[in-house]
Amino acid sequence: MRVYRVLALLLSVTLLVSLSAACGPTPAPPTATPKPALPTATALPPTPTPVPAPTRLTFVDTNSGANFQWFFKTIVLPAVKKDIGLDIDYVVSSGAETMQRMKAWTPGKGDAHVLFLKPKDIADMVQQGIKLETLSPDKAKDIPNIAKNRQDYLDTAQGVKIGGKGALFWRSQYAMIYNSAKITKPPKSWKEMYERRNEWKGHIGWIRPDSKSGSGRALPYGFLNAFGVDMTKTITDVMATKEWTDAWTKLADLTKNYAVQPIAPEPTNLFEQFKAGDAWISVYAMDFSLWSRSQGTMPPELKAGFFTEGITEGSDGYLSVPVDIPEEYKPVAYRLINYLLGDDIQIKMITIMWQYTGTEIWDKIPKEVWDVIPPWSEMEKGRIRITNKGVIDYIQKEGPKRLIK
Amino acid sequence: MNGLWQRRREGLITLLLLSPGLAGFFSLFFYPMLLTVILSFRPEGQKVGWTLAHYARFLGDPAFRDVLGLTFSLAVGATVFSVLLSLPLALVLREKPKGNRLLRLSILLPMMMPHLISALGLLLFWSKRGWANLFLLSILPFLKEPVAVNYTIPGLILFYVWLFYPYTCLTTLASLEALDRSIEEAAEVAGANRLRVLWHVVLPLIRPGVLAGSVLTFMMAFGAFSVPLVTGGNYRPLSVQIFTQATLYLEWSAASAMAVVMAMAQVTFLTVYMRVLRRPIA
Repeated sequence: MRVYRVLALLLSVTLLVSLSAACGPTPAPPTATPKPALPTATALPPTPTPVPAPTRLTFVDTNSGANFQWFFKTIVLPAVKKDIGLDIDYVVSSGAETMQRMKAWTPGKGDAHVLFLKPKDIADMVQQGIKLETLSPDKAKDIPNIAKNRQDYLDTAQGVKIGGKGALFWRSQYAMIYNSAKITKPPKSWKEMYERRNEWKGHIGWIRPDSKSGSGRALPYGFLNAFGVDMTKTITDVMATKEWTDAWTKLADLTKNYAVQPIAPEPTNLFEQFKAGDAWISVYAMDFSLWSRSQGTMPPELKAGFFTEGITEGSDGYLSVPVDIPEEYKPVAYRLINYLLGDDIQIKMITIMWQYTGTEIWDKIPKEVWDVIPPWSEMEKGRIRITNKGVIDYIQKEGPKRLIK
Repeated sequence: MNGLWQRRREGLITLLLLSPGLAGFFSLFFYPMLLTVILSFRPEGQKVGWTLAHYARFLGDPAFRDVLGLTFSLAVGATVFSVLLSLPLALVLREKPKGNRLLRLSILLPMMMPHLISALGLLLFWSKRGWANLFLLSILPFLKEPVAVNYTIPGLILFYVWLFYPYTCLTTLASLEALDRSIEEAAEVAGANRLRVLWHVVLPLIRPGVLAGSVLTFMMAFGAFSVPLVTGGNYRPLSVQIFTQATLYLEWSAASAMAVVMAMAQVTFLTVYMRVLRRPIA
């Protein structure tokens, strides 16, 4: 019994000590014993001990699909380590989740040092007042490569003024994709696709407007644009136009009566529909479609083309630095962004992944690339930048009710 | 007096020993739940103020009630079919036939695989040109068209059963193996045939195990997310709707209200279910 009492007492003491240690403040790291100050003729003000620059950053990716997660892990991060000596904790997340986390941060306590965002995410962050550093022009000295970004991309994303709060890492582009074994004469425009809709009734691949992927909104946006909807007007004004009513009716007709049913909830399902032979034609991110063909998750006969009225931009990629991260991390974050905008990584991106660069370095890109994908100068003619977030939000909110059977 | 002091001291020591675990449990389990409940009463995007608007909106919306109905139907369907599949399988495995070790291991397979991967695999397996359909078309001459499984309610139930039946199967098997065989033998000696023994002796005795497994299966199916997200098509149960509400529309308060309704519905259903099925054997 006595042994039991002693043991119980010892256990209690140990527990209390460990509990108080766990709940107490984190012990300060050991510091070097201060050396006695040398006598000087005049008293100098004490110089602050320089904080060593961090060598480990957290990079939160809310944009990449499976292909680019692979690219980051196997190509980019080892190169970052080798060339600029940074270890990166690569975290895949979603824009919504990241925003919720950032709202809870207090100044200097943020733990996601560099964000890789979709245009919708950066636009939402700016609209919701989530603080991001202004990289251009404020940090142009720290990120010299940002000068290679085009100014209009730094100014706006999805029609929202982002004011240089993101550096453009890549430009993604949707394209018309079709199974050449099923379609020998692909349409050259949205209007032609709609007019010839009976030829591929039940085989037009589409993605739900409430999908996680931005393609769910980008496809209808491109369609509405092609049928004359004026994207410069506000959503209220645009909805009052005849063009809107006409284009929306056609769009609903296409998705309800001619698209593969049920409409793909996510791109994965669209790929499965292509693979199963149900979908013959659609519009989706060119890089991911071509990569998937090489991976065997899309039919080998898959080809890409463009529409004369233009096809919507894909999820361009913006690199941002939150304001609320510790100050000592910011110069390192800028160094990382500058490296990612450097020619080496940008060229790797287009030569390995067929993704258009965020920087204007077209003359440095190997000519062979243009045998696989159209040159940017040609492609850009048909690229529609999303400028009306009101329309995007409307498609997202009302689309599931109005475009789905 | 000494005994009372002794008991108090032992109680205190027990509490102290339990306190780290309890603290962890409360902070990891109750705190997030409490936050979700609080958020569900906040006006959207606000950190202060209270409102019942989200609850009023959902509970008054027929579409939301349809979603709730769909979620229940899928979970109940998956539970019933899991039990129906698990019982014969457990009865066979109890006899330890040749290869039973491999079979037992394969039952665990759906639990070991990430659900998203399983969902993608099932989607491809049951697609119009998937292996399942190619096989069925080759052996059934009257079948002219591939069977539509993906994006249908029966298909979803089939996928749920595949993913969640291990819970019912394992608990049923454990109950069966713990059963004293002499009871069955006694019933047989008394003249009962094997079917009567199964119905009147075995099933009532293993009912607690089946019940426990079915509760687990029901809960898993009710909250299933990856499978309906990928394979549900237009059938989007509550978990998918909550995900859409939070991540796409950025309406976290509304999503929290949906989550609270979901939890309440689940708890209510399970309470009734347990009460009904735990009635003593007549």
